[in-house]
Amino acid sequence: MPRIELGDPSSLVIKLPNGYNIGIKYEKNTNVRRLEGGKPIRFRPANLAIKKDPTKPTVSILGCGGTIASRVEYTTGGVYAAFSPADLLLSFPELKDIANIKGRKLFDIMSEDLTPEHWKIIAREVVKEINAGSDGIVLMHGTDTLHFTSAALSFMLKDLPVPVVLVGAQRSSDRGSSDNLVNLVSSIVAAKSDIAEVSVCMHGSMSDDFCYLHQGTKVRKLHTSRRDAFQSVNVMPYAKILYPEKRIEYLRTDYRKRDSKKVKLDEQLNPNVALVYVHPGIKPEFIDSLKGYDGVVVAVTGLGHVPTNPAGDRFTKSLLPSLKNLIDSGISIVIAPQTIYGRIDLDVYRNQRLLNKIGVIGNYCDWTPETALVKLMFVLGHTKDPKKVKEMMLTNMAGEIGKRTVA
Amino acid sequence: MSEKINYKSLGLKCGLEIHQQLNTQNKLFCNCSTEMKEKIPVLIIKRKLHPVASEMGEIDVAAQFEYLRDRTFHYQVFPNETCLVESDDEPPHNLNPDALHIALQIALLFNCQIPEEIHVMRKTVIDGSNTGGFQRTAIIGLNGYIKYKGKRIDIMQVSLEEDAAAIVEEKNGNVTYRLSRLGVPLVEIDTGLLIDYTPEEIQEIAYTIGIMCRSTSKTKSGIGSIRQDINVSIRRGARIEVKGVQELGLISKIIENEVKRQMSLKKVEEETRIAKLDGTTEFARPLPGANRMYPETDLEPIAITKEYFESIEKSLPESWINKLERFKTKLKLSDQLAREILESEYLNFFEAIIKTKKVEASIVASTFTSTIKDLERREKVEISRIPEKMYGEIFDYVESKKIVKESIPEIIKYLAAYPQNGVGDALKDLDLRPLSVGELKDIVKEIVSQPNMNFDKAVGIVMSKVRGKIDAQTVMDVVKSLMK
Repeated sequence: MPRIELGDPSSLVIKLPNGYNIGIKYEKNTNVRRLEGGKPIRFRPANLAIKKDPTKPTVSILGCGGTIASRVEYTTGGVYAAFSPADLLLSFPELKDIANIKGRKLFDIMSEDLTPEHWKIIAREVVKEINAGSDGIVLMHGTDTLHFTSAALSFMLKDLPVPVVLVGAQRSSDRGSSDNLVNLVSSIVAAKSDIAEVSVCMHGSMSDDFCYLHQGTKVRKLHTSRRDAFQSVNVMPYAKILYPEKRIEYLRTDYRKRDSKKVKLDEQLNPNVALVYVHPGIKPEFIDSLKGYDGVVVAVTGLGHVPTNPAGDRFTKSLLPSLKNLIDSGISIVIAPQTIYGRIDLDVYRNQRLLNKIGVIGNYCDWTPETALVKLMFVLGHTKDPKKVKEMMLTNMAGEIGKRTVA
Repeated sequence: MSEKINYKSLGLKCGLEIHQQLNTQNKLFCNCSTEMKEKIPVLIIKRKLHPVASEMGEIDVAAQFEYLRDRTFHYQVFPNETCLVESDDEPPHNLNPDALHIALQIALLFNCQIPEEIHVMRKTVIDGSNTGGFQRTAIIGLNGYIKYKGKRIDIMQVSLEEDAAAIVEEKNGNVTYRLSRLGVPLVEIDTGLLIDYTPEEIQEIAYTIGIMCRSTSKTKSGIGSIRQDINVSIRRGARIEVKGVQELGLISKIIENEVKRQMSLKKVEEETRIAKLDGTTEFARPLPGANRMYPETDLEPIAITKEYFESIEKSLPESWINKLERFKTKLKLSDQLAREILESEYLNFFEAIIKTKKVEASIVASTFTSTIKDLERREKVEISRIPEKMYGEIFDYVESKKIVKESIPEIIKYLAAYPQNGVGDALKDLDLRPLSVGELKDIVKEIVSQPNMNFDKAVGIVMSKVRGKIDAQTVMDVVKSLMK
C-alpha cells in the first residue's frame, strides 16, 4: 500500500482482506515474498452518457481546487479532483434535475496557496463561460481563502449579466455527511436565480436544511470546521436557499438583476499589499519594516485604534510616528476592524483623531480586513497617487462599504 | 413440543462478534464524557447522508441514493457528552491513549499478535448512526485464541472502535439518534468459525469472551454495554448476521430460531437481521460488501514501540477465565456465585477481604451479591451511604466470631441508616451479641413447653426472637433435640 503522507517510513502498510490496514515494521532482515499479483490501484473515471435538456438552463461549474468535488480512491484514501460533468453527476445525481451542467477544472490547488494571479485566471474563465452563453457560473473553491476570491471577483467583474456563485465544502467529500452536496445543489439553484452578483453559497446552519447566499465583499470564514463557517458581515445575505425544496427565498432586493449586458473584466491588480494585525506590545519597528509595500491594511482594535500613548506611559510605544512615516513616503495605510463585525469610527476618542489626522484611510467603513486588502490591491492596480487611492478606496464599488450596518 | 435438533448433522456454523464498551473517562476521539447520563437534548441537528462515490460501482450509487434520499437524520446534542467531533463538525482528536492501553491489554489476554503500527480506518455505515457516514475502527490484535472445554477458539481479530449513536426512534424516514453514545470506545472481538458446537455452547463461549474483556476492570457494565453480533449458517442455508444482541442469555435461543427459520426456507438470502427482545430476528439489510473500508486520513498511524508493548505486557491483569476457575476451585464458590461476584461491582472489595481475612468466601460473596441486592430492591436500603471501609469491619467481626453471618443484613441496614456509626455501634444498638447454645436452649425450652406446639411453629417463633444472633441450623438442631 502506498503510505499516506504521515507515519513511520520504516513500516510497511498492509491491507488485509477485510479492508483493514495495519503497519508492520520493515527492518533489514525482514523477508518479503510475493505470494500473488495484487490488483492495480487505479482511479476509474465515471462513464455516464449525458443528454442536454433544452428546457433547463445551463450552469458552468469551474473547479478551482478544494475538496468539494474531489473523489476518493478507497484503497489508498487518495483524493482525486473530479470535475468532468460525468464525474459530477456520478457524485451528485441530483444535479441533472436542476440544470444542464458544464464542468471543467481550472486548476487544483489548496485555497491557502491561491494568489492574486489565480484570481485573474478565474475571472478570465468566468468571462469566457458567460460569453459562451452560460446562464450561471459556479466556482468550486477551497474554503480557507474563498472570501478573498469572492471579494476580488466582485471588484474585477463589472456589469455581470448572470450570477457567479462561489461554493466550497467544510467537510471532506470522502464522507457521506460532507456538506458538498447541499452546498453544490444550492449553489446551482443560486446560479439559476436573478441575483447577477458575485456571491458565496454555503451552509446556513449546522443542519442540512438551507444555505445562505452571501454578498461576495461582505462575507468571511469565521470557524475552522463548522459547516456554517461563512457568515455575512454587517449585511443580510442576499438569499436563503432551501435545500430540500431547491427553492430560493430572497432576503434583499438591492442586487443586480440578471440581464443581457456584456460582462467587463478589469484585471489590474497590485498584489504588493500587506495586512497586519495590531496587538498589545506591537513594535513600531515592525510597522517601519513595511516600507517595501505600496499599501498596508492595518487591522485595528475596536472602533479604530492603534497604540498612540497620549498619556506618555513608560511601557507603551506609539505607532503613530511609524505610520506617519509610511504615509509620508507615499504608502497608503488603510484601516479595518479586527473585530470583523461593526464599523470604524475615528471620531469617538481623542487618540483616534490623531490617527485620522496622519491620513489613514477607512473612517466610517464597515469592510472586513480581507475585503479592504483585496480592494487596496485593486485600487493600487489602477493608481499609485495617494490622493487618488484614498478617493477610490472610499468610493463604494461592489457593496463593500455599507451605508447602514445591519444587526 | 419441538423435537430436538441435531445441530451437528445440520452443519451449524456460527461466528461471534462481541462489542464491549470501555469505561474510559473520555471518548475515543474527543474529550467528551462517556457517562451517557444526560436526558434532555440542548440542540437537534438535522442531516442527510449521501453515497460516497469512492467505493461503489455506478449501480450501487443509485440504490444507496434512493435509500438515503428518503431519510433525514435528527441528532440530539447533550451538554458535556457531545462536541463538534460527534456532530462531524471537527476533525477527530488523537486516539484516547487510555482506550488504546485497555484495548491492547484485552488483545494480549486473547493471545493476539499486536501490529507494530495501528491504522485507524473508516468503515462506511449509511444508517445514520455515525454522523460522518463511517465508523472509525482500528485493528489492535490478530490471530489470538482462548481455550474453551480444552478446545481452541480462534480469536481472529480484536479491534478498537468508536461506538455508534444510539437510535431513539424511526418514523416515516425520520430517524432520531442520541449523540451521547457516539464515540464511546469499544473493543470488538471476532471469533473464527465455530463448528460442531451447540447453541448453548456458543452462548457459553460468548460469555467467556465477555468476561475476558472485563478482566481489565475498565469496561462498562449495564444494559447495552456489551452487544453481540452472531453469524449463523447451516448447510444449504446462507450466512445471516444477527446484529445487536444485548442479552447474553438470548444467544442460544436466537441461534435456534435462526436455524429453524433457515430450515423452513427453500432459499436463504445472505442478509443482516436485527435481534429483537424475544429472541426472534427481523430483516435489516443485505450484508455489506467487503470494500467498505478506507483510511482515516485525519489521523496519523500510531506506532506500538517495543517499550510501550512491554509496559502493557507488564501491566496485564489476571484473566477472568482464570479468576473464575480460581473462585470455583480454591475458594469453593458455586459456579453461579462465582459468576455473580465476578460480575459484581463489589468484586474488588470481595477480593480484598478474601485476601486479608479468614472467612468463608461464599459468605462474603453472597453478602456482596444477593444480600445487598435484596436489601436494595426489597427494602430500599441506600447501600451507597455505607462507607467502603465498613465492609472490611463487618468481616473482621465475622472472622473473630463476634457476630454470626445471619446478622449481616441487619448490620448493613443499620450502617446505611447511620453511616457515621461503626459495626460495634450496630451490635450494641441492635443487641446482636451472639447467643451461646446454652442461652438458646433456655429460650427453646420455654417455647416448646407451650401447648399445641409443633416443630415448624417452634422454629418460627424461636427464629423471630434470635434472628441475627445465632445461625438457623443450630436453632433447628436445638428445637429438634428439645422437642423429643
